[in-house]
Amino acid sequence: MPDLAICSYCDTVHRRVELTERTTARCVTCHAPLYRTHPDLGAMLAVAITAAIALVIANTFPLVTLTSQGQQTQATVWRAIAVSYDQNLPFVALVLTITLVVAPILEIGSLLWILVPLCAGARPLGFATVMRALRALRPWRMVEVFLLGVIVAVVKLSALATATPRWGLYGVAAVTIALAALASFDPGALWRRAEQVAR
Amino acid sequence: MTRAVDLGVIACEGCELVMQAPRDVDGRCPRCGETVRSRNPRGASRTWALLIAAAALYVPANMLTMMHTEQFPLRRSDTILSGIEFLWSEGSWELAMLVFVASICVPLVKLLALGLLLVTSHRGSTWRPRARTKLYRVLEVIGHWSMLDVFVVTLLTAVVQLGRFASVEPGPAVLPFAGVVVLTMLASASFDPRTIWDGAA
Repeated sequence: MPDLAICSYCDTVHRRVELTERTTARCVTCHAPLYRTHPDLGAMLAVAITAAIALVIANTFPLVTLTSQGQQTQATVWRAIAVSYDQNLPFVALVLTITLVVAPILEIGSLLWILVPLCAGARPLGFATVMRALRALRPWRMVEVFLLGVIVAVVKLSALATATPRWGLYGVAAVTIALAALASFDPGALWRRAEQVAR
Repeated sequence: MTRAVDLGVIACEGCELVMQAPRDVDGRCPRCGETVRSRNPRGASRTWALLIAAAALYVPANMLTMMHTEQFPLRRSDTILSGIEFLWSEGSWELAMLVFVASICVPLVKLLALGLLLVTSHRGSTWRPRARTKLYRVLEVIGHWSMLDVFVVTLLTAVVQLGRFASVEPGPAVLPFAGVVVLTMLASASFDPRTIWDGAA
């Protein structure tokens, strides 16, 4: 029954209509978004590649450096994880690892895995598994919250010593923007596209 | 309004495939393999359990010390709230407001709102179902923002290690605080918003 769309929030059944230019179909009962126009796969791929590059920068370069009386220290994502572990907070280290490293790497990796073959007109290997992984991971990716956390930390540090934002911070900001742009895609539309390719 | 439950159709939550399904029978989506069910009979009790656990952790998360700061010769220990006061007086009021909303308001709103949704759904309430659905959608969006303070404390700990002049250490509140965020996220994910409308129809 490909002509039906069911609202996941209130269970209302709708007949699908073809959408014109970049709009979102909303549920008539509860106004939640139902589906969107077909995604521009080429544009999505470009943003996903940008996100991948930004993620490498975010995870390798220091986020902020602190200078006081000739001493300099710096914070990276990895150092924050290592320090939590050293402070006997393995659960916190685990939360940081999942929300800042594992979830974004897998999310961007899965998107590239799906988008590269789809753009070339082939059905991606393990499409169903990758799509399910994407759905499961999304809530646990917290790069955008971390970005705000780094900014708050920089302000707090300014009271203590000279705090300078570094490349890693701009990397985190770029990942946040790129993932926000990709989050608006409609999984149902990707599924329909994949089925067209399969035939 | 026509509901899928009444028509005997169901959509897969993973891939949106619409299929025939009798009520309350579990199965797997033939297209993507996701578990498909009309309603999860144990969903509400699962949400309650996670919510109560989160509410219990909310107390130590706010009472205990979140962060020890040492800047020779001064040493201070801050809870979430006193950390916000400090940020207000020393840093900027905008950020203080931001941390207040993310760390104090968001978890509290989540606990109260999910409790309200569970009670009204259980009673089959017909009270403003559209507004309650909107409330649930807001919870989904704001859910993870309360992790903010955990990130701030771990970052500060990582960077402030200037020998004997200054150091920052996480306090005992960090663990329950991270627990509240994770548990409330799991709780709102296990709540089925369609139950809001089951009594309203």
